[in-house]
Amino acid sequence: MPWYLYIALRHLFPQGKRFPFFTLMSVTGVSLGVALLIIVISVFNGFGHEIRTKIADTYGDARVTNGGILYDPDSLVASIEAQEGVTRATPYANGVVMLLFRNQPLYPIIEGVDMRSDEELDKLASYMTLGDIDDFDDDSLLLSSGFASQMGLLPGDEVDLYTPLMGLKLKQSGGDEVLLPRLLRIAGIYQTGWQRADENTIIGSLRLMQDLYDLGDGAHGLRVQFGEGLDAEEEANTLTQSLGRPYYARTWMDSQSEFLSVLEFEKRMMFFLLFFIIIVSAFSITSSLLISVIRKTREIGLYRSMGATSRQVSACFCFQGLLIGATGTMLGFALGFLVLAFRTQITQGISSIMGVSSSMKEIYAFSYLPVHIVPFDLVVISTLSILVAVLAGLIPAFRAGKLKPVEALRSE
Amino acid sequence: MSDFILEARSIQRSFESGEKQIEVLRGVDFQLKSGQSASIQGESGSGKSTLLNLLAGLDLPDGGDVLWKGESIDGKSGDVLSVLRGSLIGMVFQSYYLVPELRALDNVMLGGRISGKVEKIEERSIELLERVGLGDRMKSLPATLSGGERQRVAIARAMISNPRILLADEPTGNLDETTGDSIMEMLQALCREDFVALVLVTHNTAYASRMDDSWHLKQGVLELSERVE
Repeated sequence: MPWYLYIALRHLFPQGKRFPFFTLMSVTGVSLGVALLIIVISVFNGFGHEIRTKIADTYGDARVTNGGILYDPDSLVASIEAQEGVTRATPYANGVVMLLFRNQPLYPIIEGVDMRSDEELDKLASYMTLGDIDDFDDDSLLLSSGFASQMGLLPGDEVDLYTPLMGLKLKQSGGDEVLLPRLLRIAGIYQTGWQRADENTIIGSLRLMQDLYDLGDGAHGLRVQFGEGLDAEEEANTLTQSLGRPYYARTWMDSQSEFLSVLEFEKRMMFFLLFFIIIVSAFSITSSLLISVIRKTREIGLYRSMGATSRQVSACFCFQGLLIGATGTMLGFALGFLVLAFRTQITQGISSIMGVSSSMKEIYAFSYLPVHIVPFDLVVISTLSILVAVLAGLIPAFRAGKLKPVEALRSE
Repeated sequence: MSDFILEARSIQRSFESGEKQIEVLRGVDFQLKSGQSASIQGESGSGKSTLLNLLAGLDLPDGGDVLWKGESIDGKSGDVLSVLRGSLIGMVFQSYYLVPELRALDNVMLGGRISGKVEKIEERSIELLERVGLGDRMKSLPATLSGGERQRVAIARAMISNPRILLADEPTGNLDETTGDSIMEMLQALCREDFVALVLVTHNTAYASRMDDSWHLKQGVLELSERVE
């Protein structure tokens, strides 16, 4: 090992002595910054990952449409399910309706699901917070939690439903027809955890939607699920090409691109803001190394008298910055992963100390703090923190290298 | 080619003190052959350490020239001088300058690591520490050593890279008489055995008289007061 790296190691970790205070403070600063970054970014990723999963769950991996009505969805289902990579295709229909309850009108988006698909019903059942999926039929609705609370609806209540088609028919008849709404029962309330789906949507059966929108046996499109681990974008492109015009497969990521870009932007902003902690710790590295250069000025003079070059002296202090950064980063990783591993106990502890409910499901629709560790993020965090520590060591290193040997030896 | 391993020709050095210019060395000449020893005496502040630093290439003269093995060091960069010094010159200081974080053995080995020209550094360091009588204190940190022991470690460190010249700046200045005597005897013995030229800056006339040449620095001028032929 070159002598200047050896001396750097000994300055930071001296033999037979206690861990130097300045080293401890500098390493702690970097560790805390790195740990905080890992924790916050991983939790942020966790929320994003959960939300993405829920969007993919409610939307489907992709939706196939022809820009109008699919009059024979079952034959298209058969041809799509025959494609490699596709695990399931189910018809759906959607639109806007008016719900009237106690003379209070609201205009939710309604999605019709195929009751023949057990998978669709199982998925809906997993999101239900009130009511029973067995009560869901062609004359009932499932309401999103946000919509239900807005209207004050509970399972068992009945509502009047109007469609734009009814208004059109009334207009075409010149007012001769009587506009009769569809009376529907509330079978249950669901919460997916995806705010958009939980705010202003309701679910009915596909048969109900076919009646309301005069679709016959048709549908507005097919919800397609791809195999586990497959790239939805790639599979959707293949599907679009194999089906040919006018069919088009659109992934959930395409449909929610704005929302996803907001999530990504938020994560980047959080990273940027938290990275200031590491920059602050870099100042502590600079100041502690500068103090070290001043304390060891005569030692630097000694090295020069023994044949050390200015570059080697600089490298000694620069390497100390690197060592502090690397040690701090490793400890930060350990601390970060430790906190993430015990996150449930920690959040429960904080909740009990503060006397608030520990059930996250009430707020976030998650029963636990979601965490998703992205290796690329860890690489970025470790690289940047070590780089900043090395940069922090450059100023003291430059100062040490510039010292004149005779002046260094003379210093008090 | 010069016969001298170390030579100074008419070197001048002055320092600014406020608005005044203090001339410390006014055309100093000095010569030393391989394996010979020389002492430099003078009053405090007469410029002995300044001269030693100039001879070591740690400082540069305002005028004149310093020659190592007959070659001028004038015009060489600080880093080039450092590398040359590492292989040619060993230095011993009054205040020892041991690295406090390193054990005695590691302090000695450091000298060899820096010069980069020593083979079997550990074996040679152990041998040197045994020669200076510290075979049983190799693993001790400087803080646990006495003044005399620290200076012995510093001397072993200066000798690790097989220097041709040893420059000692008042090596016994911080030691009592008995310890100083033993240090001086050891220093001379080492230089004699390894054929190393020794320059000793000292206030002690007895130690100075043991050298081949005795120089006296007075009012910026160096005079040879005694030479043993």
